[in-house]
Amino acid sequence: MDRPLLSLDHVTLRYEHGTCALDDVSLSIAAGERICVLGPNGSGKSTLASILCGLLAPDEGTVELLGERVFGEQGIDFGAYRRVRRRLGLVFQNPDDQIVTSVVEEDIAFGPENLGVPSTEIGARVARELHRVALDRYAKADPSNLSGGQKQRVAIAGALAMEPDVLVLDEPGALLDVRGRRGIMHVMDQLHGAGTTVVHVTHFMEEALAADRVVVLAKGRLVLQGSPREVFFHGDELAQLGLEEPFTARFAEALRARRVGVPWTCDERELLTSLRLANDAGLLASGDNSKRPAAPAPAHNPQGAAIEAVGLSYSYGDTDAREARHPALDDVTFTIPRGTYATIVGQTGSGKSTLLRLLCALETPDAGRLIVEGIDTSDRRQRRRLHGRIGYVMQHPERQLFAETVLEDVAYGPTNMRLPADEIARRCADALARVGLTGREQFSPFHLSGGQQRLCALAGILAMEPDVLVLDEPMAGLDPHGRSQLRAILAGINAQGTTVIQVTHSMNDAAISKQVIVLNEGQLLMQGTPEEVFSAKTFDALHASGLGLPDALTWALRLKEEGFAGLGEPLTLDALADALVPHTPKPVITEGVNVNGL
Amino acid sequence: MAFRISLGSYVPADSVLHRLDPRSKIVCGLAIMVSVFFIRTPLQLAFGWAIALGLVLLSHLPAGKVLSSIKPIVMVLLALSVFNLLLVDTGSTLVALGPLHITTGGLWAAVNYSLRLVVAVIAATLILLTTTPTQLTDAFDSLMSPLTHIGLPGHEIAMVFSLMLRFIPTIADEASAILDAQTARGGALAEGSLVDRVRSVIPIVIALLASSLRHANGLSRALDARCYEGGAARSHWHPLEFHARDGLSVAVTCVYVVALLVLGSL
Repeated sequence: MDRPLLSLDHVTLRYEHGTCALDDVSLSIAAGERICVLGPNGSGKSTLASILCGLLAPDEGTVELLGERVFGEQGIDFGAYRRVRRRLGLVFQNPDDQIVTSVVEEDIAFGPENLGVPSTEIGARVARELHRVALDRYAKADPSNLSGGQKQRVAIAGALAMEPDVLVLDEPGALLDVRGRRGIMHVMDQLHGAGTTVVHVTHFMEEALAADRVVVLAKGRLVLQGSPREVFFHGDELAQLGLEEPFTARFAEALRARRVGVPWTCDERELLTSLRLANDAGLLASGDNSKRPAAPAPAHNPQGAAIEAVGLSYSYGDTDAREARHPALDDVTFTIPRGTYATIVGQTGSGKSTLLRLLCALETPDAGRLIVEGIDTSDRRQRRRLHGRIGYVMQHPERQLFAETVLEDVAYGPTNMRLPADEIARRCADALARVGLTGREQFSPFHLSGGQQRLCALAGILAMEPDVLVLDEPMAGLDPHGRSQLRAILAGINAQGTTVIQVTHSMNDAAISKQVIVLNEGQLLMQGTPEEVFSAKTFDALHASGLGLPDALTWALRLKEEGFAGLGEPLTLDALADALVPHTPKPVITEGVNVNGL
Repeated sequence: MAFRISLGSYVPADSVLHRLDPRSKIVCGLAIMVSVFFIRTPLQLAFGWAIALGLVLLSHLPAGKVLSSIKPIVMVLLALSVFNLLLVDTGSTLVALGPLHITTGGLWAAVNYSLRLVVAVIAATLILLTTTPTQLTDAFDSLMSPLTHIGLPGHEIAMVFSLMLRFIPTIADEASAILDAQTARGGALAEGSLVDRVRSVIPIVIALLASSLRHANGLSRALDARCYEGGAARSHWHPLEFHARDGLSVAVTCVYVVALLVLGSL
């Protein structure tokens, strides 16, 4: 092998308060390689990304970047760092923080300008990179009018215009919707094809399948590395680290647990081939095994409706500098029964967030009627009463934290409700216990880890003991463990009778809810049970509005094309595996709560 | 999103005003803005307005864009002119209603003070609407280069100014999101005694500060990653250059200012 492009040797980095961000990590990356870094929240992935692109020097070890020894026994070589940094590019989570001007093409030119590239060449680079990320039409646009995915592509173009030898992407898709993430993956595929070295840090296991090599970090240590196949073979270890395997691998395992003779794999085509063989050998079911329950008729709910929306319309007035191309919500009608678990899906800009603001009585509809828990939200006086009964968990709720201690922050809502002191104390203790933060009452919320901050913010809402809990993309940016933890908490609250309404990007999450509401460009596209909303018939309509089907159903439809009969339309992994292998006693597939077994 | 006001961010178009060197644009704009304070007669006011409207036409910008950008300030000016109307007490009385009287002097003050300031506001808005933030930064950088000679960070001041313009909408969105969240937790802004109200601001301000610090952290990582090291070694995609049109625009502006002063002494 050639001399590696980037190489870390026994690198250790400690934070001021003594915790190890990176602990004795050795890693070398060759030119043209595509590396994927996985690890739970707080495992040191971002620190590793910063070291690899020369923005951070460790405390111990040796760092060689692009053939220069920037850190070693002699300490930090600032001159070398300056030289290599000019040839290393970085893109990270939040595109808003990475864009420095308010015109797209000017922003892409910013990096080359800093490098002192001659002005004639900058124009060529800007045009080339705009084209590469498919934003040619947006050269003069204001980035704050673009979607998250488009902004992130501007950030990538800005990094690429500096013509780096290595591009490091630190969770570039964490804040994006499905379509946005797909766009980023597409750009990465292209770059890799053109020979650029790519280091990709991610929480999405499926994205790791495209890498040449996967590196897994846990608590600052490099615990696993190898091809995606080698790494994902260690399913149990990954589960213990709070990660999970890609859907294909879990599917293969579920089949094996049902004693179907397919080899373990994380490659879709490979699994498809072995399934075909198994089918030909008669190992799989034939005939109609679909145990899909007939969609329960929308029976009259004795408990009544939590939300009744009739003909809701809303548009942002001219206080908004962005021109409204269409009303944010247009004639939306639906009912959510008490005690249900509803999900709202739709791509960025479909009106989901606006709908939530209306549900929480933060805004009144321009037209139509909205009755929440029996209270008409257009009545100003009544609206105040609603704020205690509807819990609103905003996007990235950790941004609402403000108090000196966790306890004070959680107590903010109940205190505003003017409850007696002992009741406040009880509710706070209950809420903290529910999210697993008991014992941290006196911590500063700002010293918690990212995942814990989110749980602390959630506890602040739960302590108000709302009848309806409304959440705006609560899983965004969490690792698989955080996601399944949150899923379990929400399922628990719902089981105790609280109505839960969740906006989500994940069709798998929508598939396990009881009611799905699909929005597209401000209008209600569909609503009903997951079985009604997700089917072969609705695929085209969903696809046209930038959405997809749950993984299990996608697989089932593909198998149907391959001639597998009678699978029905399963929405979860277990349902899919059961449809394929009907008569075996149901074995335990994964430990943990069943909501995790998607 | 209620916080999001249009603050005159760049609108691309093909016009003389867009092509002018930002430095000459700023100098001419400042001259026009200062000149409005010499407007005292109806003739001068009409002349000033003619120039302002002419500039709007020259900019090739949609009138709605310009209107929505100046609207918030025009609202303030309208309120001020009501005060002028009621409080200025010179000239002959037109209407007297109990303690209120409206005089000819008051009426002229109300009309003139607000209308002449609108001319200045239009000039300032046009600069912001026709100049990219990068051009503005470069122009300030260049205009402040004398500061650099005496050891003040001229370029950095210009860069901070430009980043500020960039982050206003981001922070404004953030502020309304946090306001929503705290309102939903029962923290009401517009109720109770003064002390209560001040207290209810704290959860919003602190959360917003924490959020701004997170943005600042992110931004500094981005500036590092993109090798921003201050002004010295930077190149410019579109280096600033004076053209004949810049000389012409400065000359025209001078003629306008002199003409305005002459009109006033007629």
